This record gives sequence, C-alpha cells and structure tokens, in this order.
Amino acid sequence: MTIAPIIELRNLVKSYGEAPVLNGINLSVDAGQVVGYIGPNGAGKSTTLKILIGMLPDFAGEATVLGMDVRTAALDIKRRIGYVPENAALYDSLTPMEYLQFVGQLYELDPGHIERKTLDLLRLFQLSDNAHARMTTFSKGMRQKVLLISGMLHNPDVIFLDEPLSGLDANAVVLVKEIIRQLANTGKTIFYSSHIMDVVEKISDRIIIINKGQIIADGTFAELQHQRPESLEQLFAQMTGSDSQTDVAGEFINTLTN
Amino acid sequence: MTPLILSILDRLQGLFRSLGADYPQMRAIVQVKLMMDNRRNYTTLGRYGQQKKNNDAPDNTFLKVLGFYAFFGVILALQLMFLERENLFLPLIFQFSYVMILCAMTLISDFSSIILDSSDNQIILPRPVSSRTLWLARITHISVYLFAISLATGLGSILILGYRFSPVAGLSFLVLSVLSAMLMVFLTNLLYLGLMQLISEEKLREIINYVQILMAIAFYGGYQLIPRLMTQASLGETMERQWWHYLVPPMWMAGAVESVLLWTFDTEHLLFIALAILMPIGGIWFMSRFMTGSFTEKLSGLDQESKPTPATAAVVQPTTLPDQLAGWFTSSSLERASFAFAWRIMGRDRKFKLKTYPQLGFGLVYIVFMSLRGGTFDNSGFATLFSLYFAGLYGMVAQYQLSASDSFKASWLYGAAPIRQPGEILSGSLKAIIVKLVTPFYLLVAAFLIWRNGTDQVSDIVLGYISTLVMLLVSALFSDRRMPFSVPVDSVNRSNTGRSFITLIVLSLIGGLHYGLTLVPYGVWGGIVLSLITVWLLMRQYQRTSWHQIVMA
Repeated sequence: MTIAPIIELRNLVKSYGEAPVLNGINLSVDAGQVVGYIGPNGAGKSTTLKILIGMLPDFAGEATVLGMDVRTAALDIKRRIGYVPENAALYDSLTPMEYLQFVGQLYELDPGHIERKTLDLLRLFQLSDNAHARMTTFSKGMRQKVLLISGMLHNPDVIFLDEPLSGLDANAVVLVKEIIRQLANTGKTIFYSSHIMDVVEKISDRIIIINKGQIIADGTFAELQHQRPESLEQLFAQMTGSDSQTDVAGEFINTLTN
Repeated sequence: MTPLILSILDRLQGLFRSLGADYPQMRAIVQVKLMMDNRRNYTTLGRYGQQKKNNDAPDNTFLKVLGFYAFFGVILALQLMFLERENLFLPLIFQFSYVMILCAMTLISDFSSIILDSSDNQIILPRPVSSRTLWLARITHISVYLFAISLATGLGSILILGYRFSPVAGLSFLVLSVLSAMLMVFLTNLLYLGLMQLISEEKLREIINYVQILMAIAFYGGYQLIPRLMTQASLGETMERQWWHYLVPPMWMAGAVESVLLWTFDTEHLLFIALAILMPIGGIWFMSRFMTGSFTEKLSGLDQESKPTPATAAVVQPTTLPDQLAGWFTSSSLERASFAFAWRIMGRDRKFKLKTYPQLGFGLVYIVFMSLRGGTFDNSGFATLFSLYFAGLYGMVAQYQLSASDSFKASWLYGAAPIRQPGEILSGSLKAIIVKLVTPFYLLVAAFLIWRNGTDQVSDIVLGYISTLVMLLVSALFSDRRMPFSVPVDSVNRSNTGRSFITLIVLSLIGGLHYGLTLVPYGVWGGIVLSLITVWLLMRQYQRTSWHQIVMA
C-alpha cells in the first residue's frame, strides 16, 4: 500500500502584482521526514510556507497538505498543522500563560487541558518562573520559546518552522534540534526553513534548495554532496550563483579603506 | 469592564453564530484584545491612551473621554427640553449627526489600525480561525468602544426624551444611537474595503493618515462652529421634507424618533424608520456574508505587497531640498546632518504627523474663529495679539513630539557615534522644526491676518513670530533634553506640567511686553531687534548642551 504524501505541490506559481515569486514548484514530502527548505533572501521560502498553511489562497497550480486542498480545506488543514513564524510575532503585552491559553482556545482545546500542558511545556523550556510575567520584557530567545510552544500546543501532524532557532541560546538550540528529531521519529513531518546551513545540514533528512522561485536541488545531504563534495554552505553559494563571495569581501574591504 | 462585556456577548452568542462566527474562538479573540487594550498604552487608541499616567488605571482615560462626550451631548440635548414637540426634528438631526460624527471620527482616527491590523496575520491567520470569525471579532472589539461612545453622547437626549415625553421615546433614541454606531461601522468598513481594492497598502495608510489629520481639525472646527450654527439656524421652524432627506443617515434616525414622539406612522415616517433599522443591520449582515473573505485575503496580502519595492526608488539627486536648507540654516556638519535627518523623519513618520499637524490645524482654526468673532475687541488691539500668541502655542507642539518615535530603539546610534556636543543635534533638529513646521504655519496665520486686517500689523506679526521662536527655545531649554526620536511615543506626554507652566508664564510675559511695545512709537521694531538677539543667544545656549544635560531613554 502506498502512503499518500503529506505535502504535495504541483506546478506552484505565485506572483505579487507583476513580480513572480514562485515559478513552478514541484515537490512531495512523506510522513516522518525533516525537510530543510533553504534559499537566499527573496527566493520564495516564506511564500511557499504561507501557501502551505493556507494563508495565501491566491496562487496557481496545486497544493495539498495531508491530502487536502489548501484552497478549499484551509481550516481543516490549519487544525492539524503547526506554524512557527519567523519574526517572533506574538501579543507581548500578555503573559505566556495568557497567550498560550488564547492560542489553545483558537484550536478549541479544553482550557484546563491547555493550562496543564502549557505549564509543563514552559517548565521544560525553563520558563516556569516567567510563566506569569508579561512578555514585553522577554528576550528574543524567550519569546522564541513561547512561539515554538504556541505552534505545537495542539500536537499537530505537520509542523512548519520558519527560522525556529533564532535568538535561542546554545542549550536551547540543542534541545529544539532534539525535539525536531524525535518528533520526526514519531511520524510527524517537519518542514523547516532557515539560513543557518550547518543546522539544516545536521537535522534534515532531505534538503531542498530554491532560488528565484524554482527548486534547484533536492535530496539528502549525502546525495547533494555526491554531486559536489563540499559543505552545504559552499554548495548553497555555488548553486544560488553567489560563489564569488571571497572577491566581494575583498572589494568590501577595499571600499572601506578608501 | 471586560467581564461585563464578555457576559453581554455571551447573551448575544446566538446572533454571532447566525452571522457565521465560531463563537468560542471569537470570544477568545475579543477577550484577548480587550485585555491588551487595558494593559498597553495602546497607541491605536490614540486620544484615549495619551494622558494615561500608569497601567493601574486602565479604563480611566476612556471613561474621561466618555464623560466629555456625554457633557457635550447634554448641552446639545438641552434644546430638546424646551422646543415644541412638533419642532424637534432639526435638533434631533443635530443629535444624531453628533453621534455619527463622533463614531466615524473614532473609527477612522483611533481604530483604523485595529481594522487594518496586520500583526494578526502572523498570530491568528495560521490558526484554524475562519475569516468571518476573525472579522466579526474585530468588529465586535471595535463596537464595544463605539457603543459606549454612542451611548455616552446620547445619554442626555435619552434622559430628556424619556423624562419629558415617554420612556418609549427615550428608549427609541437609545436603540437608534446604537444603530447609528453600527451604520458607521458598516460605512467605514465599506470605505476601507473600497480603498483597499483601488490602492496599495502603503498608500492606504498614507491616505488614512491625512484623513485622520483632517478629521481631527474638522472636529475641533466643528466644536467651534456648531454652537454658532445652532443659534443662527431657525430651530423653531418645521422643516419641509425634501427627497434628499432620505439619503442622509441622521435624518432617518431623527425621523424615526419623531415618529415615536408624535406617534404618527405615515408613509414618510415609516420610510425613515425602515431605513434607520434596516440599513445598519442589513449592512452588517451584508458585510459578514459577502465581504469578509476578500477582506482577510487582502489583509494577509498586506505584508507582502510592501516588500519588493526598492526598484521604484527615484535616482538620488546630489543635493536634495533638506540638504540645501540644512546648508543655509546650520553651522556645523553635525547640526546639518541632524537638520536633514529630522526634516525627513518629520515628513515621513505618520505618528509624528498625526500628533503634530492637527495641532497646527487647531491653531489656524482658532485664529480664524477668533477673528470671525471679532467686534468685541478692535482689530488692531489686544485680540489679534492674543490670538497670535495663542496660535504660537499650537505651533510649539511639534517640539514636544520631536523626541518621540516608534523606532526609538534606533537611538543606540547616538550612544555609539562619537558625538562630542549633542547640543548640535538638538539645535539642528529644532531648526528643522522651525523651518519645516513653525514658519509655514506662521506664514499662513500671517497671510490670514493680513488678508483680514490689512498690512498695518505686519510688524506685530513679525514680532509675534520671533517671540514664538523665543518661547520655543525657552521651552526646549527648560524641558528634559532628549535626543530626537529617542523615546517611545507613550512616554513623551508625561511630566510636562512643569514645562507647560513655565511656557505659559513666558508666553504671557512676552505677550504683555509686546502689547506694551505697541503703545510706544517704533517700540515693536525695537522689540524685533531685541528678540532676534534673544533667539540667537538662546539657540547658542541650546547648541552647547552637553552630554550630562541629555536625558537618554
């Protein structure tokens, strides 16, 4: 029996006004995979994520998540996926407890249940002492932790992460990487977008590189390495057409000293 | 307040459900929004947030504003007390216009950022919340405030009508006030949706900004104007119905109340009643049915559209206007940089514009009304001077706002850069205010006064202008000296009483001196020379501000 792919994109095209952002993305992700989705700024990473979580219904091509059409079943999809956005967007005049209680209510979870779960999760992230403090005073890493919890509180089957490690301290980074690994082992699918190459290199089962709205590489790190035996960073630079960074750096120094 | 509001919502949940909302989700969103309003000095609540001293008294400012509205409502409602039952149509129109104008004003100036809030995009849109639920939650959130406003403004009328005629009359006014608020919600949303179809998000915010400024000025002008209209308009006469009366919303409401008062239900009145009830309810229903989808869709596009625009940036000219002006008015390169910097931000920061431009507008409106009132003082005398200096006060608001910005965090720059004399930054930005705002404002004032009173007062106007500069500098010297755009917007309005007191004393002192000089031949011209020297000395003093005199946030 073949298992239907968890995420499937066929010929995905999206443009804002005249400017094309995605130029025919085709991809299919199976359950239990950790997919690293990388590309230079403006390549279309965030746009892909937003389409997948049903925030941008206005696109051409086909996109299904958990076998459901993103355009027609956005609400059903949203119930079963988690999303952690990139720029620490949360209502920071609330406390973590209040915020997570609110998010839980949006998923129609039972308030008592949310409270227990939230307290435990905050404790695991070492935020117990701050559970009832307003988040205006929180550091970027603390906010990121709350954000991570808010994206996974409802135990989603697919998790979309946009730069999930930003601002976290080294210990928390190890912890979150391990969480991602173990989630995948229990059959969850992780779709992960980041600029930090060595993290992507280490935790991804599969790496997809996009540039200018198109997929230019797709495979395990070993497979990608097979073509060009270098680090992911170098590979990335080469493929996205900016492998002359050494020269640019030299020129930069030159301009400074002039 | 919040628990009360939520329990009212709970009673109405059938209504929300029938409009297509997922009630528990909607309730959660409204609850969180109200909670945040109470906590934060919510900048979007504009006027309501401003004078708040601390977070302990969250609802107080809003209550004060309500009290203020209610007070004006009662004054406006007094006519309902004395006029004949048959002649109440016109005063009722005024009442409902007042309610509607206040609601529309509040919606546009204070709540547009809630309606167009794109921070929800990241937080709520990825959750399984339907766009209708989100939309209804927003509308409900806003309506809570609007209903409070409409009830406060209508309070006087409700009581008077209820007491003088019948409880039913009062009740009908109450219901119609709430319906007026609903109608305004519908109309403003329609306006926003229409604008969003036509123009980009950035332009929209720009337009809203100017609408807000105009509204604020119109509002102030209205306060001055309406009492005058009231005394002039022949209130005692019954109005002939015209066909266009059926297009003006306050007329519907007034007609409906009149119908209850006179207990007549002819075609005319039934038509008014029908419009008064059906339009607001139908409007809301229509929107929640057909327009919410495109609304949230547009909203979720908001973040993106503003992204890829660098290509359209114009070719940078070697010397731009602010740079050139900076060259004329400043002496050191640091001052020049600060001048051009402040000039640009003042022209672009919407919040700065929103706080400053209306005040300048008030000043102009004030001058115009003082002058129109005329007659009580002779034109060449005290009155003109008084209005001149009073307008000068308005011109000084910009200086209050200069230190505030939403991106105040960028002020680390002042700490990191090797600035020896921060006073030059202060003086540069103050000069930018003088050239960009105070001077054009004064030119308008001067143009109006000259047009009105002829040219014999030119010397007074010139002296008034220079004196305003003196006051501006005095106020700058005596208040906390903060680097431009370096503190959060909320914190500017605190601890200013001392400074405003000093400013007032100096104002009356200088104004009095000026008046004395008008009695001496050539006195005013001498005054001009003296105050020019004062300006120069004070500015030099200000320029020499050193680091330990600067208050950093």
